[in-house]
Amino acid sequence: MNVKITTLPDYTLISVEGRVDTTTSAGLEKTLMESIDGGCTKIILDCSGINYISSSGLRVFLVIQKKMISIKGHFNLCNLQPGIREIFDISGFSSIFSIFPDKEAAMIG
Amino acid sequence: MEIKTLVVDNQMSELSKVVDFLDELGEDWGLPAGLVFSLNLVMEEALTNIILYGFEDNNRHTIDINFGKSAAEELSITIIDDGLPYDPTLKADPDLSLSVEERPIGGLGIFLIKKIMDKVEYQRNNSNNFLILTKNINS
Repeated sequence: MNVKITTLPDYTLISVEGRVDTTTSAGLEKTLMESIDGGCTKIILDCSGINYISSSGLRVFLVIQKKMISIKGHFNLCNLQPGIREIFDISGFSSIFSIFPDKEAAMIG
Repeated sequence: MEIKTLVVDNQMSELSKVVDFLDELGEDWGLPAGLVFSLNLVMEEALTNIILYGFEDNNRHTIDINFGKSAAEELSITIIDDGLPYDPTLKADPDLSLSVEERPIGGLGIFLIKKIMDKVEYQRNNSNNFLILTKNINS
């Protein structure tokens, strides 16, 4: 898994590539938490490069969403591949996350 | 019935072996890419539970995984471990209607297995757990 962070004036863009699974999810959680602790209140997570997610990865998404809601921030997801979107649907995550078709929509949302 | 077997240790590092095995299985048996993706998920969830919670000692244990493909295009996976008795079919499904604040962290792994596979069965025989998962290849 690779994570790329771009800090912009209005939001932080985080692009994740590869597998978000039992072995990589802790690293992703750490990176996202560091951004939030650093004062970031709007994260756009570009999921276009995520080709696999398991419950360990979903756990991290939920932890971050809870955290963002508690600080009244925004955690916007975009570009989910169909297979990943299906896992979100099955888990009931599609209704508790802000999911956008692309980065542009996620910026406005 | 075609059968292939994989044996892994009770170590998280063994999961990468499963990924490689499933890639090969998908090619050999001509499985759709979407199904291979789902099987990766199912296997990670099932094995992670066994490896993390199945054993009270620190000894090395082996987990046997048998994959079968029937003439009727039904795929079966049997996971056999000698860990503590645990019947995942008894685990209650998560409440998907809860808000973000109310949703508990975790508890999705077994639910994902149940949703992805057509059938999930459990047996305890001779101090072994048998988790039997089946799915029609084209469903």
